Amino acid sequence: MAERPPTSEPCAVSVRGVHVTLRKHVALRDVTFEATYGTITAVLGPNGAGKTTLLKSMMGLLPYAGAIEIGGVELGALSYRQRAERLAYVPQRSALDAPLSVATVVGHGRYAHQTRLSLIPEERRTIERALAATDIADLAERSYLDLSDGEQRRVLVARALATGARVLLLDEPTASLDISHALALFRLLRRLTQDGMCVIIVLHDLNDALSFTDRAILLDRGLVVAQGATGEVIAEQPIRQVYGLEPSTEPRLCFRLPEP
Amino acid sequence: MSQRTLRIPLAFGALFVLSVAAFIAGLLIGQGDLGDPRLRDTLLDLRLSRAAVAYLAGAAHAVGGVLVQGFFRNPLASPSILGTTAGASLGGQLAIMVFNLFLASTLAGYIVPEMFLSVGCMVGAAASLILLMAIVGRRRDLIFLLLTGFILSSLFLSVGSFLFALAQDSWELSRAVVAFSFGGVAGSGPRQVAFALPLVVSGVVVASLLSKRLDLLLSGEDEAQSLGVNVDDVRFMCILWTSVLTAGAVSVGGNVAFVGLVVPHALRPIVGVEHRFLVPASALAGGCFLVLCDIVSRLPQHEIPLGVVTGLVGAPVFLLLLVRARRRGTYG
Repeated sequence: MAERPPTSEPCAVSVRGVHVTLRKHVALRDVTFEATYGTITAVLGPNGAGKTTLLKSMMGLLPYAGAIEIGGVELGALSYRQRAERLAYVPQRSALDAPLSVATVVGHGRYAHQTRLSLIPEERRTIERALAATDIADLAERSYLDLSDGEQRRVLVARALATGARVLLLDEPTASLDISHALALFRLLRRLTQDGMCVIIVLHDLNDALSFTDRAILLDRGLVVAQGATGEVIAEQPIRQVYGLEPSTEPRLCFRLPEP
Repeated sequence: MSQRTLRIPLAFGALFVLSVAAFIAGLLIGQGDLGDPRLRDTLLDLRLSRAAVAYLAGAAHAVGGVLVQGFFRNPLASPSILGTTAGASLGGQLAIMVFNLFLASTLAGYIVPEMFLSVGCMVGAAASLILLMAIVGRRRDLIFLLLTGFILSSLFLSVGSFLFALAQDSWELSRAVVAFSFGGVAGSGPRQVAFALPLVVSGVVVASLLSKRLDLLLSGEDEAQSLGVNVDDVRFMCILWTSVLTAGAVSVGGNVAFVGLVVPHALRPIVGVEHRFLVPASALAGGCFLVLCDIVSRLPQHEIPLGVVTGLVGAPVFLLLLVRARRRGTYG
């Protein structure tokens, strides 16, 4: 299990009584939860439960009622650059449709830190570290548009890492990844939490959530149905209530990455 | 050195050489005999001013095109297609009428007419862009954007025609409105250069400073904002400085279409989509393009309006882009 940070440190993310209304439709109702540094928190729920809406609200991309604090500071009190220094967001799919090189796209993650006096070699090293961490260093000069969906997803994760933010929000990051890169991503996320980061990740695969996350929030139609340790949230009663599924105890073949 | 890092300095070198060549051609080609010593100095002065105004107007149209294309994330957007140029033109017509009817007698000693014209063009361009953004909002529907621009353009041109009809009571006023509406750089002098220069130079400098933010906007407003860009600020700056650039161009060169569309489109395959290269390259190439179009416009015995030449080049390019966008649905 990941090391926990000292208790004096404020919560990485604190969401209290958040309501979001989109075109007269209530997308989130009274959502309250906390996420600490050093943990991976899964956001679970069926389609339309409000998972992406929750992530976008936490990024300040949607208007909300209630309170959201990042590292003990109210989100609304932070400028856009300050938010980007604290929070990084990996969307389900990027709207980028211009033929920029992978290195340039990852470099966009440094925007909030850059000043006219920024040292170029230092910026370059940060970008190279993000490329290496996501195993796409060899794609650096390729056009983003020429990549497969899975490769594009890794570029977006690298861009988020390049921001240097301590809170990472990922919206279904494994959706287009092959099993090897999906496992590598979870290993990377675990390493990041061991370095003190907070990861909040929207997942559809409950087995992935059980295997790789510490805590979970289960949403249904904008309401929090259950939250706590992942093993307690993904339990018979809440899963039956939200998804209408029965638990299965069939043994199944599992795979893991070889030890480095 | 990679192919890309070599291509960009070469492209800028070529654009500098082309700029000098276009200016020299602008001085040498045209009606009148340069061999006549009595006419030579006057002809050279006139042609130099004309080439300078064409260069500034072309640079302004092209960089204005880059700004709106960057903001709307659409290579088919340009000030002329979105109605911004027509808005600036209408603002200019209104300014001429207001100045001549109400202010000329009282403020003639205090306000230079060209200054009032530039302000009118700027207000017209800004109003048209604000109206367009209010209608289009965050939608990326290409057809909706283009149709809205077309409708606004038609509306502004119709109101302009109405103003012209009103102005016919006064011969002097109608002459001024017609001369401005037809546009062109034929009668340009150092005064026009002096008025356009600060507007265009400041517009190009600010557009260059916006480069990084426009690059991030290529990923959409949500992603740009999540990376630290204040999208509302960028929107305001794009409206303001596209208006300044369009006003600078229209107030000295009239309503010239398609430059802001053709030039950035031609440059993207060479310098790429990053705005730190695209903005200055567009300024240089836009200047060359309009100087060359102006030379073509004065080749026949009777001069052709500048907008006709740019339209003959721009319309086919626009159609080509539209067909390609329909087929591929990608940027650039």
